[in-house]
Amino acid sequence: MNVIEVKNLVKTFPSKNGKVKAIDNISLSIKKGEIFGLLGVNGAGKSTLTNILTGLTLPDSGTIKIFGKDFLIHEEEIKTRSNIATAYYDLNRSLTVRENLIVYAKLYGVQNYQKKIQELTEKFMLTSHLRTPIKFLSSGERTRTVLVKSLLNDPELLFLDECTVGLDPDMAEIVRDYLLQYNKETGCTIVFTSHYMQEVERLCQRIAFLYQGKIIKIGNAQSLLKELNLQRVSLHFSNNIEEAKKLLHRENIPFDENNGILVFWVKNREKILYPLLEKFVKYKIVFDDIHLNKPTLEEYFIKKSRENKR
Amino acid sequence: MKLHRITAMLWNYYYDTIHSADRLFDVFYWPILDIFIWGFMTYFIQGLSEVRLINVILGGILLWVFIWRASQDIAVYLLENFWTRNVYHLFASPLRTSELAISLFIVGAVRSFVAFIVMAILSYLLYGFKVISFNILHFSLFVLILFLFAWGIGLLISSFIFRWGSRVQVLAWSIIWVIQPFSCVFYPLSALPLWAAKIAVFLPTTHVFEGMRASLQGLAINYQSLAYAFLFSVIFLIISAWVLSLAIKRSKHRGLLAKPE
Ligand SMILES: Nc1ncnc2c1ncn2[C@@H]1O[C@H](COP(=O)(O)OP(=O)(O)O)[C@@H](O)[C@H]1O
Ligand SMILES: [Mg+2]
Repeated sequence: MNVIEVKNLVKTFPSKNGKVKAIDNISLSIKKGEIFGLLGVNGAGKSTLTNILTGLTLPDSGTIKIFGKDFLIHEEEIKTRSNIATAYYDLNRSLTVRENLIVYAKLYGVQNYQKKIQELTEKFMLTSHLRTPIKFLSSGERTRTVLVKSLLNDPELLFLDECTVGLDPDMAEIVRDYLLQYNKETGCTIVFTSHYMQEVERLCQRIAFLYQGKIIKIGNAQSLLKELNLQRVSLHFSNNIEEAKKLLHRENIPFDENNGILVFWVKNREKILYPLLEKFVKYKIVFDDIHLNKPTLEEYFIKKSRENKR
Repeated sequence: MKLHRITAMLWNYYYDTIHSADRLFDVFYWPILDIFIWGFMTYFIQGLSEVRLINVILGGILLWVFIWRASQDIAVYLLENFWTRNVYHLFASPLRTSELAISLFIVGAVRSFVAFIVMAILSYLLYGFKVISFNILHFSLFVLILFLFAWGIGLLISSFIFRWGSRVQVLAWSIIWVIQPFSCVFYPLSALPLWAAKIAVFLPTTHVFEGMRASLQGLAINYQSLAYAFLFSVIFLIISAWVLSLAIKRSKHRGLLAKPE
């Protein structure tokens, strides 16, 4: 069963120079119990998509079904059964951690909320801060408070928009462990937004890559991330560059040229890069230097979107 | 509409109040200051006049607190959630706009009564003014009309806050003081110059305070003008609620509830 079904979603925002298409005709289904990753660089549209699915932002067009029900008609019920956490929005800063959690527990109609607050604040190591106003907490502690809030109502659907930003690595690990466990025990569907690849790799079963409001790739996490195993090769030349370019042409390897540096991508070192380098030696094409890098997510997206345009 | 969500918001406001000196200050400080300044001044002028001037003035101050607090508190407690960007989580929760509005009505009403009671006790101690000299039926009617009008104003300011953000917060404190001079709180309608009187008869508050003076002096009350005031306030409240729902919808269209900084 699909917990989320989105069809032809479009959202534009007015901006200084005209309009921004934050969501550009996205269709997407997410299954029950899935941990689904939305991956993309800043401004890709991850938060906008999350905000639309939580009723914070209204789309221009498109349909949204959650739990098999039309979102706009059943908004109240859907919101009662789901929740959201993010590192970017606090709870009420004048209230203490405990007071905020009480307010939200009541908003979501949580039975036996004292016990729930106790349990969750223990898990997220906030018990010593229960009586501290939010404004006196560190950013990591605030984020953890928001995470506890998002779990108060035992959500069946949980949106996490960059929820580990600002947590120290240990704490981020604890949070991820908890989320995996919660998902396993309750079958909760999680939509997880991040620009950290490793995090998504650990948590998510399926991923969508967002770039400029479009899904440019969607599928199984493992196989998509393998693609990211691409290596970027930069060869630096002071002469011989023309021969090198000819060789790359012959080998059918697309490249960019930049100030005597040739840049190209290879998927596999053993099968492609090493034989290629042997040919350089054979034809006595001398280069000064060679750099191998794993691409950043940003570079990968730019490459991907270029391919898509072609 | 769910009661538990309204009480959730009331807890939110309660906690806000106990943590904020400002919120406590504005229930007690300004109303008490009013009683002192206006009361003593009237006491001084009293000798010049025949009527029990002090009763009329104190009655005005006491009733004014209902419209003042009720309208301002709606905006102030909403703003509190704006400043802290807590609106993001509130609007992701199942809370409905109607529940938010009703919780704000209640907090305004409760704080009005608290301020009223404090002022009433003080008026008795300082000037021997007995609140019970109000006709209870008239009084309830006055308070009802003032609340309806105040809620309308509060919702209207709230919609401005949704439209323009917390930079319009000055409105929350000032609108009510623009209305006051035209509302004939301390002086009869007949004391106003013609141009001002034209504005005054339009306002529901004028009719309430005219009624209050008549009631305190044991004169007949003009029920027709009170009916006008009631109807005006109800219609105004409905329009404000509608404007607020439009403003919230617009915020959601613009993505302002979750705007990256
Ligand atoms: N409320 C808004 N008003 C105007 N532009 C917005 C708003 N929200 C997002 N945007 C723009 O939409 C695009 C997508 O933003 P966002 O969804 O926040 O991306 P991400 O979360 O992937 O970083 C960006 O260009 C951003 O500037
Ligand atoms: Mg974002």
